[in-house]
Amino acid sequence: MEEHAGDVLVAHELRKTFKKVEAVRGISITVAPGERVGLLGPNGAGKTTTLLMLLGAILPDTGTVTIVGHRLPRHRSKAMERVGFAAGYLPLPDRLKVREALGVFAGWYGVRNEKAAVAAALERFEITHLADRLCNALSSGQRTLVGIVKATLHNPALLVLDEPTASLDPDVALRVRQGLLQFCSSTGAALLITSHDMREVEMLTERVIFLANGQVVANDTAAAIAATYGYDDLEGVFMQLADEARRT
Amino acid sequence: MSWHRIRVVIRRHAYVLWRAPHRWFDIGFWPLMDIILWGSLGTYVARNTTGAHASTPYLIAGIMMFHILFQSQIAVGTGFLEETWSRNLLNVLTTPVTEFEYLAGTATFGLAKVAFALLTLSVTAFGFFRFDLGSIGWSIIPIALILTIVGWSAGIANIGIVLRFGQGAEILIWGSNFILMAFSGVFNPVDALPGALQPIARVLPSTHAFTALRTVLNGNPLPIGEIVAGVIGALVMLVACFSFTAWMLHVFRRRGFVTRFS
Repeated sequence: MEEHAGDVLVAHELRKTFKKVEAVRGISITVAPGERVGLLGPNGAGKTTTLLMLLGAILPDTGTVTIVGHRLPRHRSKAMERVGFAAGYLPLPDRLKVREALGVFAGWYGVRNEKAAVAAALERFEITHLADRLCNALSSGQRTLVGIVKATLHNPALLVLDEPTASLDPDVALRVRQGLLQFCSSTGAALLITSHDMREVEMLTERVIFLANGQVVANDTAAAIAATYGYDDLEGVFMQLADEARRT
Repeated sequence: MSWHRIRVVIRRHAYVLWRAPHRWFDIGFWPLMDIILWGSLGTYVARNTTGAHASTPYLIAGIMMFHILFQSQIAVGTGFLEETWSRNLLNVLTTPVTEFEYLAGTATFGLAKVAFALLTLSVTAFGFFRFDLGSIGWSIIPIALILTIVGWSAGIANIGIVLRFGQGAEILIWGSNFILMAFSGVFNPVDALPGALQPIARVLPSTHAFTALRTVLNGNPLPIGEIVAGVIGALVMLVACFSFTAWMLHVFRRRGFVTRFS
């Protein structure tokens, strides 16, 4: 995998074994400033483990991760100042209002004018009406939206999203995609996203990394990968890789 | 280290306390019940036993000072557990907050809870049993310092155990208080414990604090030797517990246990 000076993310030869299961087998990923990359693969391909290693929440057995020049795990705190993370499956703190929870995260990310940052982020995704709702009273879709807002509060250099629209209605998911594209183009943030929605990946990303059995099996534009496997779109590629993964 | 992030940790837990009335039990209801229980027991013993007139101050002062340890411990322990209960741990771990900043925030927030609990204890002890915490004088400061550090240490160690063994181990956060209460000689000198257990009690820094407390209640000057031993022991315990939990966090990250909490 080609690396360039100034890449926001450089992960080199990551390996992770849980007991006797090799979850990740030598994955290398780079993301350039402002680049939008999709990380795809069937269940068990190693996507979430890879993402958690990129975020420092799981330590790789071997390999290195560098975010905006900060090597993990030693400089994790500095690195995380430049990363925003949200996952469709992650709740928010109980007993805090949305405005309060976002203010807390803004403070942790080092945002000085928390109120203004929270107001702007809520506005960007058109959910200002949720500001005074308790986080634990939100629907799963609303919670996902607030999670994405949380990830963008501090204008990160790298936005990492794990299945961000999995629990959203199609119209809300479309609004989120448009909001993400607008956010990335206006701030220059890079995007690394996992999703099971192939159309979403084709809409949001410029490059796709396909994982299967803990390894990178394809790394190119969506159209080029589809053509390589002999399909019109990513859906067919995904089905073929999932089928192969099941059989191995 | 960022003071700003530590202040935000404190704010995060203040929101939770404000919106969770049952958490006020820790700093209002339980202290009140403890004073009633131990004060009444002391009064009863004093009425029915010759030569036991001083038992009420021993019991009330003991439980008041134990609450300093208890509040410090649960503020740190439940501060972390709050993130596991709301499955917010991965969110926290992917922010710039460091382990030290998070613990410093919860420990500082614990001091506020200690202050509230002591206020409840002081008012009720004086109101019901005419016991004045101020009668201990300035000696209360080094004794409280030792107990606060021991409480923080126990809370930090409990976090390490939960990181390693999962949420099922959180019972230890509550159980460790009873262990410390039994072995620290909160109400009684160490030599009142069964002989086989006395060596355990003697190595606990909290034992020195409670020994010093009884010495002062007997009208004697603050025993400097007990305080020095207690402070040194408490600092050693703090470093040991922090190191243990840092290691458990390393294991937690190496084995990918974060998925248990998310």
